[in-house]
Amino acid sequence: MTQETISLPIRHPLKLSGLHSHSLVRLLANRRVQLSLAILGPILFLTIFRPLLPLPGPLETNLRAMTQPPSLEHVFGTDRMGRDLFSRTLAGVQISMFVGFAVACLALVVGLVMGTLAGFFGGVIDRVMMTITDIFLAFPSLLLAIGLVSVMGTGMVPVVLAISLSDVPRFIRLQRSMVLGLRTRAYIDAARTVKASQFWLMTRHIVPNTIAPLLVAASIAAANAILVEAGLSFLGLGIMPPAPSLGNLIRDGQAYLEQAWWISTLPGAVILLIAIGLHFLSDGIRQVLDPRSRK
Amino acid sequence: MLTYSLKRLAQLFVTVLGVVTLVFFTMRMIPGDPISAMAGDNLSGAALDQMRDQMGLNEPLLLQYLRYLGGLAVLDFGNTVTTRLPIIRLILDALPVTVSIAVGTIILTVLISIPLGTLAAYMAHKGHKMLDNAITGFAMLLDLMPSFWTSLVCLLIFSLALGWFPASGTVSIDDPWQLARRVALPVLVLSMAQIATMARITRTSVLEVLSEDYVRTARSMGWSELRVLFRHALKNAALPIVTVIGLSFGNLLNGTVIVEFIFTLPGIGNLLVGGINSRDYQMVQTLILFYAMIFVLINFATDLIYRVFDPRVQF
Repeated sequence: MTQETISLPIRHPLKLSGLHSHSLVRLLANRRVQLSLAILGPILFLTIFRPLLPLPGPLETNLRAMTQPPSLEHVFGTDRMGRDLFSRTLAGVQISMFVGFAVACLALVVGLVMGTLAGFFGGVIDRVMMTITDIFLAFPSLLLAIGLVSVMGTGMVPVVLAISLSDVPRFIRLQRSMVLGLRTRAYIDAARTVKASQFWLMTRHIVPNTIAPLLVAASIAAANAILVEAGLSFLGLGIMPPAPSLGNLIRDGQAYLEQAWWISTLPGAVILLIAIGLHFLSDGIRQVLDPRSRK
Repeated sequence: MLTYSLKRLAQLFVTVLGVVTLVFFTMRMIPGDPISAMAGDNLSGAALDQMRDQMGLNEPLLLQYLRYLGGLAVLDFGNTVTTRLPIIRLILDALPVTVSIAVGTIILTVLISIPLGTLAAYMAHKGHKMLDNAITGFAMLLDLMPSFWTSLVCLLIFSLALGWFPASGTVSIDDPWQLARRVALPVLVLSMAQIATMARITRTSVLEVLSEDYVRTARSMGWSELRVLFRHALKNAALPIVTVIGLSFGNLLNGTVIVEFIFTLPGIGNLLVGGINSRDYQMVQTLILFYAMIFVLINFATDLIYRVFDPRVQF
C-alpha cells in the first residue's frame, strides 16, 4: 500500500492500470482470452469469408431441397423455402457482430464523455446527468428497447440506437464513479500545481486510467447487445425478414419445431457459443488489465 | 431512517415523473400521430379529425400532457384504440399470469441457487476446487443461454417429445392446476437464466463469511457443519442475496415478455407485443410505463430492506 502511494506521483499515470504497450502480448497469453479466441475465431473466420465459401447465398431458395435435416451438403439443414441455414446463420452472425460492435462503441464513447464531464465537474452537470440516467435505468433493458423500436421502427439503425440507450446510462454511471475516485488523487493535485488545464487533466490523467474497466464493460455490453438484438428480432421487432438475423431465424423455426427441430435450435446454439466466447473474452481482459488480479 | 426514506421517496418521485414525461413525449414523436398511424389508409380525413378530437389530440401538447398526468393519478390509462376497452381492465386481467410466472421463478431460483451457491462456497472453502469450478461453470452456461432459445429447446423436449406439459391451451386463474401446468416450463426457463447470478452472489458472500471469526467460533463449539453453514454463514450472507433478487428483477421482467410470447400465455408481455403489432400506442405507452413502475418500486423496496436489516448501515 505504501509502495503504491509513493510511486504514484512519480510514474506516468498511463502506466498505472491503463493500457501498457505490451498489454496485447499479456492478453494473448491469458488462458481465458485464448479460449475465447478458440471459440470466436472460427465463427468470425467463417462469417468474414462466407462469400468465398462454396455455400448457397443466404437468400437463395431451392425448391428441390425444402426442410432438409442437417447433412454434409447442408450442415445446418434447410428451411421451408430450401434456403441453406448454415449460410443464413453466418449472415445472421454478421449482423449480430455488427450490432454488438456498434452498441459497444456507441455506449463506450458517449459514456466516456458524459461520465467524465459529470464526475470531473460535479455540481449541476452531475446532478442533471444523474437524474437523466436514473430515468433511463428505470426501464428494464429489453422493455426500453421494445418501446423505442415501436416508436422508431424496425431495422438496423433503430435497433442499435434502442439497445445503446439502455447501455449508455450504465457506462455514464461507471465512468463517473471511476472519475470521482481519481480526481482527488495526489497525482492530479500534483498536475494542478504545475497549471495543467482541466482538459489536459481529463484527457491525459483521468481518462487513460478508466479505459481498462470501460473495455471490460464494453465487451460485456457487446455480448448483451447480441442477445437483446436476437430477442427483439425474435419478437418480430428487430431485423426484419428476409434479411437473416439469428433472432428471426429462431422465430422462423418456431412454427416448425416439431417437424424441423434444426431451424430454431442450431442458430440458437451459435448465439450461445458467441455469448460464451465473449464472456471469456471480457473475463480475460479483466484479469489482464485489473492490477489487483495480477500475481 | 425516516429522513433517508423520505429523501429516497422524493428521488423516486422525480424519477417516476421523468419516466412518465419521457414516455409521453417519446410516443408523441411518432411520425404523424398515433391516430393516422393506427388507422392506416382506411379512414378519410374528416373521420380522422373526429377521432383526434375525441382523443384530445388537437389540443396543445402541454394540455394533453397535464391531462395525461391527471389521468394517471387516478389510474385512468384511457381505452385501447382497437377494442375501446379500458386499458386498466386488460392489464388487471393479464397481470395474474405474469405475476405467477415471476413469483414462481423467484421461488424456484431461490430454492435451487442458494443451496448450490452455498455448496460451491463450502467446497471452495474446503479446497475442493473441482466441484466449485463445476458448479460455477454450470451456472455460467445457464446464464449465457438466451431465454427464447432455451424456451424452444424445453418446448421441444418436454412438450413435444415427452408430452409432460401442454404447449398451448387456455389459461385462467380459476383453474390453478391448468395454470400451473402451463406456467411450469416458462418458470423453469426463466429460473435457469436467474440461477447463475444468484448462485454466484450466494457463493461469494458465503465464502466471505466462512472465513469470519464467528464461524470459527461456531465450529469450535462443536456444532455440525450443516448448522454452521446454514444458521451462521448463510444468515449473515443473506443481505447481498436479497439485493440481487431485487436487482435482477429487471432481467426477470425482460424474460417474462419473451416466455409469454413463446408459450402464448395471456400475460402483460403478450399484451405489449400485441399492442405493438396492432399499433395501439396508447396500450404500448401504458405497458412500458407499467413495467418501469414495477421495476422502480422493487428497487426502492430492495434498497429500504437492505438499509433496515443491515445494522452496519448508518443514517
